[in-house]
Amino acid sequence: MSLWADKHRPGALGRLDFHREQAARLRNLVQCGDFPHLLVYGPSGAGKKTRIMCLLKELYGAGVEKLRIEHQSITAPSKKKIEISTIASNYHLEVNPSDAGNNDRVVIQELLKTVAQSQQLETSTQRDFKVVLLTEVDKLTKDAQHALRRTMEKYMATCRLILCCNSMSKIIGPIQSRCLAVRVPAPSTEDICHVLSSVCKKEGLTLPQELAQRIAEKSGRNLRKALLMCESCRVQQYPFTADQDIPEMDWEIYLRETANAIVGQQTPQRLLEVRGRLYELLTHCIPPEIIMKGLLTELLNNCDGQLKGEVAQMAAFYEHRLQLGSKAIYHLEAFVAKFMAIYKKFMEDGLDDIMF
Amino acid sequence: GGRCVPTQRFVFLQVAEWLAHPFDGFLGRAAPAEPAGSSREPRAPGRRRAEPQLLPRKRAKPGAADPPCAQPGRSQAQEELPWVERYRPESQNDLAVQKKKIEEVETWLKTHIFQRQPKQGGSVLLLTGPPGCGKTATLQILARDLGLQVQEWTNPLSLDFTKEELRNSNFHTFPSQAQAALFQDFLLRANKYNKLQMLGESSENDKKLILIEDIPNQFYRDPGSLHEILRSFVRRSRCPLVFIISDNFSGDSNQRSLFPAEIVEELCICNISFKPVAPTNMMKVLNRIAAAEACMNRENYTPDRTSLELLCRGCSGDIRSAINSLQFSSTKEFWSKKKKQSSTIKCDEIGVSKVRKKSKCDASEDQEIQAIGGKDASIFLFHALGKIIYCKREAVSEAECPQLPAHLSAHRRDTLLIQPEDIVEKSHMSGSMFNLYLHQNYVDFFSDIDDVVRASEYLSTADVLCSNWSARLVMESYSASVATRGVIHSNTSRAFAHQQGGMGFRPLHKPQWFLINKKYQENCIAAKSLFSSFCLPPECLQTELLPYLAMLANPMRNQAQIAFIQDVGRLPLNRHFGRLQLEALGDKDPGVPELSHGDGDPEELPSSQSSGSDLPGSQPQPVAAQALQEEEELRIEEYDSD
Repeated sequence: MSLWADKHRPGALGRLDFHREQAARLRNLVQCGDFPHLLVYGPSGAGKKTRIMCLLKELYGAGVEKLRIEHQSITAPSKKKIEISTIASNYHLEVNPSDAGNNDRVVIQELLKTVAQSQQLETSTQRDFKVVLLTEVDKLTKDAQHALRRTMEKYMATCRLILCCNSMSKIIGPIQSRCLAVRVPAPSTEDICHVLSSVCKKEGLTLPQELAQRIAEKSGRNLRKALLMCESCRVQQYPFTADQDIPEMDWEIYLRETANAIVGQQTPQRLLEVRGRLYELLTHCIPPEIIMKGLLTELLNNCDGQLKGEVAQMAAFYEHRLQLGSKAIYHLEAFVAKFMAIYKKFMEDGLDDIMF
Repeated sequence: GGRCVPTQRFVFLQVAEWLAHPFDGFLGRAAPAEPAGSSREPRAPGRRRAEPQLLPRKRAKPGAADPPCAQPGRSQAQEELPWVERYRPESQNDLAVQKKKIEEVETWLKTHIFQRQPKQGGSVLLLTGPPGCGKTATLQILARDLGLQVQEWTNPLSLDFTKEELRNSNFHTFPSQAQAALFQDFLLRANKYNKLQMLGESSENDKKLILIEDIPNQFYRDPGSLHEILRSFVRRSRCPLVFIISDNFSGDSNQRSLFPAEIVEELCICNISFKPVAPTNMMKVLNRIAAAEACMNRENYTPDRTSLELLCRGCSGDIRSAINSLQFSSTKEFWSKKKKQSSTIKCDEIGVSKVRKKSKCDASEDQEIQAIGGKDASIFLFHALGKIIYCKREAVSEAECPQLPAHLSAHRRDTLLIQPEDIVEKSHMSGSMFNLYLHQNYVDFFSDIDDVVRASEYLSTADVLCSNWSARLVMESYSASVATRGVIHSNTSRAFAHQQGGMGFRPLHKPQWFLINKKYQENCIAAKSLFSSFCLPPECLQTELLPYLAMLANPMRNQAQIAFIQDVGRLPLNRHFGRLQLEALGDKDPGVPELSHGDGDPEELPSSQSSGSDLPGSQPQPVAAQALQEEEELRIEEYDSD
């Protein structure tokens, strides 16, 4: 009784639902039994991880699906103990180094060293290299990325790296050039409709085409989100109807209400209310960057074309500040205040134009 | 047993004679002769015995005033006393404390001693205030005026184990425990027994109060034990108990830990808080002392009015320190040197500028204060914040300062009467912490959204300034300066001196950021550990999986996961614009937030977060789902299973 997104995940390169040509190329890549370091990138919910796991299965057989969660502790040179959890099979190791925060460099160096220094035991039946899968590489500090660069060269004989990230822009050039980049684009709306229908068929449900289309559009071409939406539709109402409500995530609704509150009134008192709402979102684990982005999207929906440029620029400015600073609330609040002022001025000017 | 000594004055004089005169060096006198062994003898056994001393120890700590003129017939001992002792207040009129506060204490004493109901238990009074504001002096004078005996607890100095005590069986206890036990014992005895009847004393005077200024260390470590003792005291006792606690500017305040709000309420403890001595009162006292000294006609230099004012300003309302400074500065050598330096400066000043610029004047006087030995002023966070937010200004006349050009006229402000940097420094807080307090409170004092925009931008800049940890120590003061000045300047509704009163009083609050940030971090870590089997990066987990899991019929492995999803995945949508609970900032609260306070307590946030008991229908109960899940769970196994 796992999630549909996990349960119906394709297990082989041949069974992937979309980007089939790319799948065929990946298969050719591993056919010869070896491959270069890979850098797999693409938006969230496009199937990067699925492809990587298929690739590994192609390489090592069903053994890679026997996963275990391990908690490793690494001692930094400063004698600080760093706890990190890894997911591993006998052939590969998956780790998210940015879990260690500022100590990600130590994780990269120490963990990769221990993995790469041990040879595979049975080289006759298996490949003579191991695979290390690093996720969220774009969240790595510059330090860690440079450490990664050295490690990649040093242990090329015993291990291959697969780096997985959303955007290449935050990865330093030397790493980009040492890897074969594989772009996994977001699935098209038709692809998603197709996947939703086939999943529902496997579940023994009938999904109206219109509903599938609506879910696909609403998911923003994020397949994981689309499947979760579809599953929550199932919980909400079955049999499906074409025009049923698609449940939205609470924080999205909350964010929209917040945006409405901002547009509704531009006073210091309202700013205080908005601050309370921002705090509420933060305590519900919504990262400040996501709040900023979501807020901007909702606010842009609410304002006139003339303002959009200015508002987006302000958002970019404060988003940058958010990255530089240490306390998110200052910058979120400054953005909200700025928007309020811009919007209020715009409305007052508009009112004057009408009156005269 | 309880030992009481009748003549307080006598004991006090004796004690005073043992002390080396603190100003001997300056007064150019030899130290007083070594007191004879006989004068020390009677007291020694009393000290050595480790029992609570009921000696009404007159403190070397008098307070706030002086007799009008020194009597000619004073003894030699009297003359060698430090001035704080010699000019201790003798009557209510001498006290430099606000009349209202004296009345408050007097009323309390009267109602709880003379109008006491027969069945009424003990009552507790708590006097607080900065050091040297006359708390003790007030109480002692009132006690004398009302004819009360004061029985004071002093912490026993050392516990020497004599043979008797070993026999008396409590040798195995630790001193700290014994101290608390002794304290309890003291309270019991002080309450039960009257002082001994001495020759010549009338017996009608049996009203008394118990005074506690020394608090056994044990109670700082474990305030609960003090509360227990107080509870039983209030139930059983017949006489009032007075605590005197000095305010603590930085760090944790004693008053908070010893007398938390619950206890104050439960035991009906009355708290009277003294303010620093007002400059006018202080001047009166200093003038009287100076006059008294002058008519004693010693070779001392008598300070003039301006130097008295300087003293007054330098001691930040601490009268004891003021009198000490006065005595010190009255010594001949000091002033003869000082005179030469300052006279030249003074002449210049008068000659050059007839209009005395306030700021300039302040600066030069500040230097002098330091030379005299003034005291570092500190202010409570509450007042510091208030000074920044209410930003007092002084009107400037058109002629005096050059006008801004027309296109900059929006930036015109009257002169600030405060120095924001000084205020931040005096509040004993780091700059970034002060900024947080400012951020929490500034919006309430703004009326125009455009002003808020500028203020919030300054705060945002201030945060970025101190984000680099390696430069943080240096940058924090700049950051605080940017934030405070930014907020002050942005507020156009307080731009001019005549606009001050507009908003009225608004309560100040403690920053919520610490709690929010802590909760955010904790929830992220909890999410990672509870749902690690989904193998998702944290961002997907928090923004996609958790919110949908809250809506799905997907059975979770355990109760913790269900509770967490209901807590974090759901937001209180039906509630409109509820603000999180705000913790008010009291006028004496220490600034450092108590982070341990809200440990894992989701009730801190008034949200719709529900516990596992009222799950929505879509969430199957975990017990039934457990079995199902065990067989389906194929993809990820725990390490030990294969």
